[in-house]
Amino acid sequence: MGVDSASISEARRPAAETSVRPPSTAHSYNVRICHWINLVSCVYLLWSGVHIFLDFPELYWGHTGYRGHPAAFRLADWGLSWEEAGALGDRRWGRNYHFTAAWVFLINGLVYVVWNLYSSHFRNRMWPARAERTVGHVGAELRDHLRWRSRTHAADGSYGTLQKASYLILIFLFVPLMILTGIAQSPGFTAAMPALLDLFGGRQTARTLHTIATVALVLFVLVHVLEVAAAGFFVKVRSMITGK
Amino acid sequence: MSMRISRRAWLTTSVPALGGLLLTGCSRETFVPPRVRGGLIGAADVLTMSTNRLLLSGQQLAREYSRSDVANPFPTWNQTNPRNAEYQRHASEGFKNWRLPISGLVQRPRELSLDEIRSLPARTQITAHICEQGWSAIGEWTGAPLQRLIEEAGGVTPAARYVVVDTFDGWYEGYDLFEVAHAQTILAYRLNGRDLPRGNGAPLRLRVERQCGYKNLKFLKSIRVVESMAGIGRGTGGINSDFGFHWFAGV
Repeated sequence: MGVDSASISEARRPAAETSVRPPSTAHSYNVRICHWINLVSCVYLLWSGVHIFLDFPELYWGHTGYRGHPAAFRLADWGLSWEEAGALGDRRWGRNYHFTAAWVFLINGLVYVVWNLYSSHFRNRMWPARAERTVGHVGAELRDHLRWRSRTHAADGSYGTLQKASYLILIFLFVPLMILTGIAQSPGFTAAMPALLDLFGGRQTARTLHTIATVALVLFVLVHVLEVAAAGFFVKVRSMITGK
Repeated sequence: MSMRISRRAWLTTSVPALGGLLLTGCSRETFVPPRVRGGLIGAADVLTMSTNRLLLSGQQLAREYSRSDVANPFPTWNQTNPRNAEYQRHASEGFKNWRLPISGLVQRPRELSLDEIRSLPARTQITAHICEQGWSAIGEWTGAPLQRLIEEAGGVTPAARYVVVDTFDGWYEGYDLFEVAHAQTILAYRLNGRDLPRGNGAPLRLRVERQCGYKNLKFLKSIRVVESMAGIGRGTGGINSDFGFHWFAGV
């Protein structure tokens, strides 16, 4: 509430009114708390997931996959033998922390999504306005990015269109994909919801997609941190902590 | 509007689910491991197990595949030939003198030979063996339902809470009665149409299709029914959880 995006407020209000009540782009309590809980749970999920993967460093398509079965990816082809990988990973530690962090991630994510649907955060700050959904606008933003130049109109702290799109795709496409491909590997959950196996075409496909989506998410985080650095790392991180 | 629909959907799915659980006589053991670990990890264990059990309250079957999906030969993993002298003697005799004792909290403790187990009503299921390491393979398993075997011993007494399986390679694992009652929980003596090979757990192995591979014990030696897992191994409920793995291996 009260966090209108700059473009909406500019379009609807006379200029004089904005000086009375400037559009607030500060991060709400909910966004800040969920952001940092999310970061901690994701670090654990990634690190424990790597441990689990190293214990069986091969990926397959379909319902089955085991040592000797034709693989889609083998770490051994990249110079790390099965034994070496197994010595690096600890799946007992990995499984315990992966499923603990998964619950933290899930509950935190649900609180974030429900809260911000209710508070219209997604609609006001993350859904691109009509003027932003044009080829010209997106093209101009893209050029700015490629020239390593920050958006001239970003001084008020509102999100860029590319930024909005990537956040929305991440939250509503990649995160559900991660959760579903994760539980599609579980013998318990797939007995209760066999449709998960059909959705992905098998448990091993789900495991492979889970791994590919992990790489995509890591790349997203790298770009995210790079963008934060480009916009002023200290100021941006402080605003995600203090809200100012 | 959407609020009202989701609430109705929640009620229509959750209320019969809870009713089903009450009817099948579930208790604390159905939702909580024998020993809950401390901290956030312990809380996550309970959440995982309770969620699974609520979703599976109808005792749904794990996916069954077709014969063309079967892995032949079926992969072997970990122990493939226990060095135990008693086991080697039974194996050299073709398991003719092997007996499976069913003891503890049953009405009539008894022993069953392999032929007696084979003569019980059998179930054949083509299911995926899902190792917690990440591999999975499909096999056709034939065996006697564990519940049926316990009925051969007169059924459990009212105090019974867990069925403990012991093996010739020194493994032990506890299963709550909800898992035991499942139709696909069988003691398999045949794999892919042939006698169970030694590498896959001859003469008899347990199949619990809704849990990971490490709960599917091989080389069965005995079965006992107990009230509590305290005093068995380190008391966490089985050898895997004694080593720090999840007791409930549904994920």
